[in-house]
Amino acid sequence: MGLKGINTKKKPIVLVDKSLDFFNDKVLFPKKLEKANEMLKKVGLPKPDKKAP
Amino acid sequence: MKLDKYELKSGEQLEAFEFVSVGDRGRIPKIVQYTPTNYKDLYNLGFGDKNSDTGEIDDTVISNNGDSEKVLATVVATLYAFIDKHKEAMVYATGSTKSRTRLYRMGITKYLDEIKEDFEIYGQIENEWEEFRKDVDYEAFLVKLKEN
Repeated sequence: MGLKGINTKKKPIVLVDKSLDFFNDKVLFPKKLEKANEMLKKVGLPKPDKKAP
Repeated sequence: MKLDKYELKSGEQLEAFEFVSVGDRGRIPKIVQYTPTNYKDLYNLGFGDKNSDTGEIDDTVISNNGDSEKVLATVVATLYAFIDKHKEAMVYATGSTKSRTRLYRMGITKYLDEIKEDFEIYGQIENEWEEFRKDVDYEAFLVKLKEN
């Protein structure tokens, strides 16, 4: 089973600005990342068959 | 997405995006960044204002620029661009405050039908994930591309 692609019409136009690659190795939101890692450690990932009650 | 959005700029990796909010309080540069977490293929969505003078990023400031719908639509657009480039990626998102998380929830709810055409979306409540439902006060969200 493969992943579904995104409808081309929904893909936004993004202007490539190579200066923004400067951010790739930097964490701009460290507190949020820390919070996310803590939460994910506690909660884990969704189970594929987990339906809402 | 048919809604009005801001023009997006990004580096080649499509992991950091920049756009400029234009509204009542002037022009406010915004940054969206997808950062790898400790889990494989799982990225954290960060979003905040960039101070034009100092370059500092702040994800707690409330801009009140009168364009929140357009800003949210633009953030959702970055999700499409990011996942189109990183098809295996899952994205975790939560607000820096409860009110901002609620704002994210309202944004997701508004575009839910459209988002669900392409993505699986989950909400986290009481240390559990469930399929996203409207009007539930989730603490965080997780999005991934649908499987065929």
